[in-house]
Amino acid sequence: MTTATAFFHKFDRHADGKGLKGATTHYCPGCGHGLIHKYIAETIADFGIQDRAIAVSPVGCAVFLYYYMDMGNTQAAHGRAPAVAIGHKMANPNSIVISYQGDGDLASIGLAEIIHAAQLGLPISVIFVNNAIYGMTGGQMAPTTLVGQKSATCPAGRGLFEGLPMQVAEIMAQLSGTVFVERTALYDQKTRKRTRKAIEKAITLQMEGRGFGFVEVLSECPTHLKMDPMQAEAWVRDEMTKTFPLGVLKDDDRAPWFEMKPPEFDPERVAELVGATSVAPERYCTEFPEHLAPEDVSLKLAGAGGDGAQTAAMLVTNAAINEGFDATHIPSYGPESRGGTSYADVHVAKDEVLSPASPSPNILIAFNAPSLAKFGPTVHTGGTIIYDSSVISEVPEFATDVKVVPVPFTEIAQSLGKVLVKNVVALGALQEATHLLEEDSLLFAVRRSLESKCAMIPINEEAFRWGVKAVKEGVTHFE
Amino acid sequence: MPKVARPKPVLLPELCKGCGRCIEACPKQCISMGTEINQASGLIPVIIDADVCNGCGLCISACPEPYGLTAAGYELEDPKDLYGHRRPEQEGPVTIPDQRIPLPQCEPLVLKGTYASAIGAILAGCRHVFGYPITPSTEGAELMAKLLPQLHGAFLQAVSEVATVNHMYGCGGAGLPCMTFTSSPGFSLMLEGISYMIGAEVPTVFVNVMRGGPGLGNIGPEQADIKLVCRGLGHGNTHGIVLAPTTPQEMLDLTMEAFQLAFKYRNPVIIAADGYLGQITGRVNLPETMVKPGLPDWAVYGDEEHRHNLINSIYLSEPSLEKHNEHLNAKFSLMTTEEQRSKTYKAEGARILVLSCNTPARMAKGAVEKLRRQDVPVGLFQPVTLWPFPIDHLKTWLAPTSGTDPVTDILVVEASAGQLEDELRLALSHAGIQGVRLHHLRHMGGVLPQEPEVIEAVRNIHSNQPQEVTS
Repeated sequence: MTTATAFFHKFDRHADGKGLKGATTHYCPGCGHGLIHKYIAETIADFGIQDRAIAVSPVGCAVFLYYYMDMGNTQAAHGRAPAVAIGHKMANPNSIVISYQGDGDLASIGLAEIIHAAQLGLPISVIFVNNAIYGMTGGQMAPTTLVGQKSATCPAGRGLFEGLPMQVAEIMAQLSGTVFVERTALYDQKTRKRTRKAIEKAITLQMEGRGFGFVEVLSECPTHLKMDPMQAEAWVRDEMTKTFPLGVLKDDDRAPWFEMKPPEFDPERVAELVGATSVAPERYCTEFPEHLAPEDVSLKLAGAGGDGAQTAAMLVTNAAINEGFDATHIPSYGPESRGGTSYADVHVAKDEVLSPASPSPNILIAFNAPSLAKFGPTVHTGGTIIYDSSVISEVPEFATDVKVVPVPFTEIAQSLGKVLVKNVVALGALQEATHLLEEDSLLFAVRRSLESKCAMIPINEEAFRWGVKAVKEGVTHFE
Repeated sequence: MPKVARPKPVLLPELCKGCGRCIEACPKQCISMGTEINQASGLIPVIIDADVCNGCGLCISACPEPYGLTAAGYELEDPKDLYGHRRPEQEGPVTIPDQRIPLPQCEPLVLKGTYASAIGAILAGCRHVFGYPITPSTEGAELMAKLLPQLHGAFLQAVSEVATVNHMYGCGGAGLPCMTFTSSPGFSLMLEGISYMIGAEVPTVFVNVMRGGPGLGNIGPEQADIKLVCRGLGHGNTHGIVLAPTTPQEMLDLTMEAFQLAFKYRNPVIIAADGYLGQITGRVNLPETMVKPGLPDWAVYGDEEHRHNLINSIYLSEPSLEKHNEHLNAKFSLMTTEEQRSKTYKAEGARILVLSCNTPARMAKGAVEKLRRQDVPVGLFQPVTLWPFPIDHLKTWLAPTSGTDPVTDILVVEASAGQLEDELRLALSHAGIQGVRLHHLRHMGGVLPQEPEVIEAVRNIHSNQPQEVTS
């Protein structure tokens, strides 16, 4: 018989350890919690893992688990102990995390957390205390209350209207994430021994990194069952086990798998991962395009989802920032960016973009007729509209001082064998029609964006040159 | 086999609650229910007939009390002496401080706001991110899911925002920097957990990319969670520092700073961005150093040094909970005096201040620039901390000490129904400031105030500005 235990020698957290509370639990006489605490404390002491152990206490009568357990302790919100336990396990994979919950906490309010924690399968140990009644709130119906059992909230006895009792161990056993599931009890020497063994097993599986262990313990709540402790033991044995049969429901032989290396803080590696480079990009612009706007040029690129308006906008933004200007890109996002219309607001500023939206852009690139009709009239005095003349046949009237440039983006892209590059045709056209940056600035950005798809670079370069050429030569249709 | 004398159980009657579980467990029937009330416990302990007992120990394993029935006995101090002083605390662990590591010098990056925030978190030493996908914040989580495993960190997609905040409670309680990306409806779901974090003093960082509400609303940019982040962080007396970035650069810088503030005060920090900021791409410079986090002394890390630590928000006795609240409120007061942050643009000589944060502050900045060129005396005041509201900074413009004319009018430009203005009004009221006229330009539902509207609103104020200030 072991005497080692991971209990505090004196319970200083229990009413400041004053009086007998320094050496006794807060539980009612005959309550099962004390026994389960004892088996956990003994197991942890026997295994020599007290320094690594963290107990996560629930809301319910066991909320004060941290009074007793001489180990790391975290008190969790109602139902969330397994989620908190996962946070601890990921923070320190070497810690041994015990999540302790009652039936209201685990099987009612916390059902989503326990099922997903179990299915995630990280090696933590969950001890589920099922006493078929709410203890701390004073004897209300639990999800595990038996059919016909009376409680403060089913005074006539639980019936169909209240729903049938939830068999949690069976649910846990069905989940592929768990490795070990057992239901035990405390009503006699044999079941108590099984409980102790099951707790040992769940913790062992955690120590070996094999997975998620779950022990449901049928427990006595003499106070709210309105029985003496002996009667309560008999009730669990004779009544509860009919609905909640004891036994090992699952014991998978899973090889140890859990491993998390210590986080890395190498600055070179971090810089590389976030795409930072100390190599300055080549610059081709000598000055800001003041012929378009003195300090800040605004653009709008609009089309249907899939036209590549966002990609083109990103390329302009990248190119401008590489040139040492400030630039921003706001995409339209959400449902419309996955189908429907898609537009992007871009600004290129000499020093700093102030307002990043483009309610009246200096330049509009329209990939389809609705975009041209919607945004054409908003173009700033003296601005430029470039549109896809392959798909837009009817062009509305615009102010006379707005330059309108039709370019067959789609036809050119089709003739190159890849419709997708029409946005790069548009970029070539943009450059030639406005001289926003330099051709090489945009081509550099195009090449850089295709670093991982080098084979695509030639066709994109060709698309860009065709865009330039089409504007230069006034090509509005392309066979 | 030689017969070894087994120790007989030691019953401490004071610690026995008389439940009788040991009676059923004893094969020799040597335990019986007692009849006399124990004077110390007021309960009736069992009686063991030691002569019959053979020391099998089964009664010990059946006793729900830690020290009621033991093999070795338990040195119970005289109950009447137990009501003395609490034993002195053991020497606790020592905080391992953060390290600042130089970063290689890098060219500016071109980053989306959510990405900038994610990279800021990585540079702040965060290697644990928990989250549930929600537009328009999800890209931050996606980038973390891609990058963190390569740094031996982890992104965990939680089952819900409720699970998310509790994963963070565990990880933050272990003393590690952790964060989440979320958006308004998701943030609402996290509030209970945030209240627990504030109560248990768990440092965490939340990036709330605010979208249109109420309810499912839409995914357009709004600032309508300001009341939530400034006044409504769950139940109880709660506050947390709220940082409002305006550019992708600030998304990075303020995310880094958020971790410092979270650990400095052992309190959650909220980054309140709007939907545009989540999605906007811009130029971002990396800082000169990154952080390798240490480990605070209070952490429940799961090792020998930190074994005696506890993360908990329970204070059962009313005076102790009041004391804890006073402690928390003292922290809130310190945040209020120490952590006010703001920025201004062309505020010198301004008679009108446009007060705005997040993306609307950029629209306002553009408007100020244009109005100044037309000699309208207007400047921008941009609160960077929404809580604490930077009233000490604002005050200097409202009552300048030098001979310059004070600001007489404030135009609050925001994408909410006056939530930022309410923060301003509260701050003015607490500071006892009167006499400044307040105006507003508001949009809701995913619509942002635009530069031309700000210009028009300021012009109206300017043309109606009387010669003398009235309250």
